Amino acid sequence: MTAAEQRPALPDGLRDRILAASLRARAAGRPEPPAPEITAEEAFSRAADAFYGMLGVLQTQDWGRQALRGLDVQGLVGHLTGVEEDVHRCLAGDPQVALASHVGSTQAAADRQAGRPPAQTRAEWRRAADRTLDLVHAAGDTGAEVAVHGIRLPLRMLLMVRAFELWIHENDIRQAAGLPPSVPDPSTLSLMTQAAARLLPHAAARGGLREPTSVHLVLTGPGGGTWDIPIGHGSPAAASVGIVTDAVGFCWLVANRATPDRLDLHITGDSDRAAMVLAAASSLALDLSNLRCQAAMIARPFRGSEDTQQTALVLTPDLIPTRNS
Amino acid sequence: MLATRSVVDDLVSDRPGIGSCRVAETRASVHDMGGTDALLAARLAAGDHLALAEVFDRLAPAVYSGALRVLGHDATAQDVVQDVFVELWSHPGRYDPDAGPLRTYLTMQARHRAVDLIRSELRRVARQERSSRLEPGQPDPSPYEQVMASEAAAAVRAAVQKLPESQRRIVELAYFKGLTCREAAQAAGIPEGTAKSRLRLALAKLETVLDRQLLESS
Repeated sequence: MTAAEQRPALPDGLRDRILAASLRARAAGRPEPPAPEITAEEAFSRAADAFYGMLGVLQTQDWGRQALRGLDVQGLVGHLTGVEEDVHRCLAGDPQVALASHVGSTQAAADRQAGRPPAQTRAEWRRAADRTLDLVHAAGDTGAEVAVHGIRLPLRMLLMVRAFELWIHENDIRQAAGLPPSVPDPSTLSLMTQAAARLLPHAAARGGLREPTSVHLVLTGPGGGTWDIPIGHGSPAAASVGIVTDAVGFCWLVANRATPDRLDLHITGDSDRAAMVLAAASSLALDLSNLRCQAAMIARPFRGSEDTQQTALVLTPDLIPTRNS
Repeated sequence: MLATRSVVDDLVSDRPGIGSCRVAETRASVHDMGGTDALLAARLAAGDHLALAEVFDRLAPAVYSGALRVLGHDATAQDVVQDVFVELWSHPGRYDPDAGPLRTYLTMQARHRAVDLIRSELRRVARQERSSRLEPGQPDPSPYEQVMASEAAAAVRAAVQKLPESQRRIVELAYFKGLTCREAAQAAGIPEGTAKSRLRLALAKLETVLDRQLLESS
């Protein structure tokens, strides 16, 4: 007889009692330790500081290295300066910027960097980012909706998306310059993972995953958490998929800077559906230009405003996971 | 301004750091993910309630069995199991996978709690005996207290029997007869410092014996 066979059976009800007591002590889904809470404004400020700090360690020759979409590092920084300038126009209520192209509208700012000393490009970007923060501070209400580059969203969401975008491009430049990748602080990372988890059903729907599926997403490490996300349409999910990976890796995936095969993944349930969910996650690419693409597929008429075009887009609530807690 | 509230407002309207769309189910709806203790620890830290259920199903029988062996009292052993798992869930970072298996960590936690309970109960019984000698009018203990006291004391009495005679004598005087250390030293005819020294040694051995009981049972 083995030791296990000699053990007394657990008393009836003990399992339920203890699991319930545990969840009363700490709610399901909450990471421990929790990341200190910060605002989206603070997340943007931190991302800007990290970006600026990284630019400060670049060698002169690094500024000419190819970084993204045919832009060298200096051009990419110029593009980001252009994005800040469009955000300034947005915060000033300029209706033209609401429908401006994320890339086209900022191309001039990218182009004008050619031949400049890198320090000038760096200083110009810093001033632009600081100006954004000043305007946000002056605006006060970060819940107010703003429209820029074809999407309408609350200001705090715009700041969070911009923080994500700065982190992504910071690492595009790091890669171009041969620098090690950076990881956001847990508080910023936590905002990113929350947004990614909530947008996952959008991406899954776009990726063709329409069968009802329950995704149990566990993101480990600082900034992580656990989410149960219903995906697809119809009544209760017929299939369950469990996905466990680390929070930073998932953010790389969501930024479309890593593929699922590069992650340390633990998957249970329907592996084909899990693969579709992961492919959908990688299509999120949480930066402003990609969010516009997502918004395009769920476009709704823009109502009520005389000074904006009828084709402006908005992310709508119907594709967001139901709040369960 | 839009009449329809933008969904992205939802994305950042919660308290930062706390996600929504999280459920409080305790039954696993996804298959057991298994994996290493390090993975389980990471999942627990991430708030994965299914990981807690997996750990419970895998290790609770050993933890319960060990606690029951030491304490000899079912309800108290269940309380120990609950304390151990609530502690694991509340502070998953206190388990270090590099320091050893999760099974060992949990059974050790149960051992410490069980031994602490017995020590606490012994002190309470000793205080009660002293008090009853000084205040004869004290009410009798409840049936539950009597059972607890007798079962806990029985476990320790068995361990005490394994002590060397000199140490056993001082433990019996100090704990079972409720004497102070000075009184026990006088009764045993030894200096108080020697009595204290023997008591310390005896308690250390008792702990080892009781610990071994739990380890063997797990």
